[in-house]
Amino acid sequence: MYRDKLRSFILENYLFSEDSSLLNDTDSFLDKGILDSTGILELVFFLEEEFEIRVAEDDMVPENLDSVENLVKYLGAKAA
Amino acid sequence: MKEQTLSSLLFNQVQAHPDADAIIHGDTRVSYAELWRQISCLAVLLEQRGITPGSRVVLLMDNSIRYVVAYYALLRLAAVVVPLNTGLKGAQLSEVMGHAEATLLLHDGLLHDGKTRELDTGVSGLQLNVGDAELLDGGVDPRRSLPGDQTLSDRSLATIIYTSGTTGKPKGIMLSAGNLLANCLAIIDYLDLQSRDRLMCVLPFYYAYGNSVLHTHLAAGATLILENSLMYPQRVLQRMAAEQVTGFAGVPSTFRLLLLRCDLSRIPLPNLRYITQAGGPLAPSDIERLVKCWPQARFFVMYGQTEATARLTYLPPDRLRDKAGTVGIPINGVRIKIMDEQGAERARGDTGEICAAGPNTMLGYWRDSEASKARFFDEWLRTGDLGYQDEEGFITIVGRASDMIKTGDHRVAPEEIEEIIADLPGVEEVAVVGIPDSLLGQVVKAYVVLAAGSVLDTRQILRHCSLQCAPYKIPKAIDFLATLPKTASGKIQRYQLLKSPTPTGKMYQEDNL
Repeated sequence: MYRDKLRSFILENYLFSEDSSLLNDTDSFLDKGILDSTGILELVFFLEEEFEIRVAEDDMVPENLDSVENLVKYLGAKAA
Repeated sequence: MKEQTLSSLLFNQVQAHPDADAIIHGDTRVSYAELWRQISCLAVLLEQRGITPGSRVVLLMDNSIRYVVAYYALLRLAAVVVPLNTGLKGAQLSEVMGHAEATLLLHDGLLHDGKTRELDTGVSGLQLNVGDAELLDGGVDPRRSLPGDQTLSDRSLATIIYTSGTTGKPKGIMLSAGNLLANCLAIIDYLDLQSRDRLMCVLPFYYAYGNSVLHTHLAAGATLILENSLMYPQRVLQRMAAEQVTGFAGVPSTFRLLLLRCDLSRIPLPNLRYITQAGGPLAPSDIERLVKCWPQARFFVMYGQTEATARLTYLPPDRLRDKAGTVGIPINGVRIKIMDEQGAERARGDTGEICAAGPNTMLGYWRDSEASKARFFDEWLRTGDLGYQDEEGFITIVGRASDMIKTGDHRVAPEEIEEIIADLPGVEEVAVVGIPDSLLGQVVKAYVVLAAGSVLDTRQILRHCSLQCAPYKIPKAIDFLATLPKTASGKIQRYQLLKSPTPTGKMYQEDNL
């Protein structure tokens, strides 16, 4: 469930498209230039609002946030 | 003939501290001696490829050791460095390359996939990948003299820095060897930069501020630590602690981001002795918070613009409190006057256009003598900023005379985005303005009038923009209007659109984080 919501958030807000082929789940947001330093804040805000979690300062690392795949794992771990 | 140049200042440091770290990027450290060796190698190679004094060469790279090697190799050939924003897309890149009449583009092979493809079609045959390690393997006598080492005159063109402009009219700011040198020395002086300094650099070298950070620190024999993204600000702070940095340079959004997302007290930076801030106003309350977090550091508020190489004024840190809200006093060698629209000086305390004279004011705009003339009253550079000077000469900026949008560390000409959106079938008219944003200072907003029967939606417009321009130029908000406010002669009145702007950035408020 996380995956679809995350994918449509990124596609809608940063790639401005519904074309799913533009985003691979393992694409690095940083390396591919999809998000910048303000985009990541918007993403964090989205995560907190949509999934009712708190993204702690120490959670703000690429291992958690830098791709759809990483985000799915991070949210899964938060829910566990 | 000049005795001192940026490269001679660097060479002095190579001789004084050959083994000291010049630049640290990721896991790679390069000493002053090794940096000079690589610069010499690349310079000789470029000379063999026909780069001569005055040749324009584009640099299209994010901050890296190779960027610095390429920049100084070109300086040593007395070639003209044309650093470009790596976010430029294909058509714009080709246009700027053509406008600069560049004969070569240097890149490091690290651009995103999409960009590399665009490069191939736009400028094929003119590229050199300086990321190729073998290029710099050759043995070159590092004492070998090159054209730029001794034949520079103060007014010889050293770099063209492009800012946002319109199609057919890119704005290339021409800076001379003397401009770069004078501004570099003045900044070193007021920051009191020393070879023991270690600065964390998150600012792109292809803009004037980052460019000045680069040259001043190398000329002082200091160490630059490069981080190309603030996406993960805690990582940057941890790196600052690990590298025992003494200096940090940022624009307002850099500091806002740190204050909003990080608990600065968790990562002590005991060696931090100076912080520099330029690129637009940062609220005095934010400055106060930063000073509280890092009380041992001197905080420098600075003001300038690319047309003045980088820096015009600075606020001495011991006046930070009693002169809060000002941008301070002129740096060494710079004179400031407040003038009216005819170029007459205004009385002390009266508001007018801030004008500057000094060895750092640009030669003009590349291939645009008309725009160059319009920017000067004789020797006085018109900054386009409105302000006044108090009885002690401290300058307060009250507004801008131009419509240029300042978003984060970028400048965006509204006309550039208007052209892009107007290209889209179904758009009848468009006006672009900068609206207030709590994090970035301003963001781009577009007002669009659709042609009769057209059914364009916001996403289609944004998608179109994202294919044409860098992410920071994409509007954050779009409003559809029936008509645009205009003067009797039909000119769009942007200020009318700004009368009741909707501030963005609510999500950045601290109580939401």
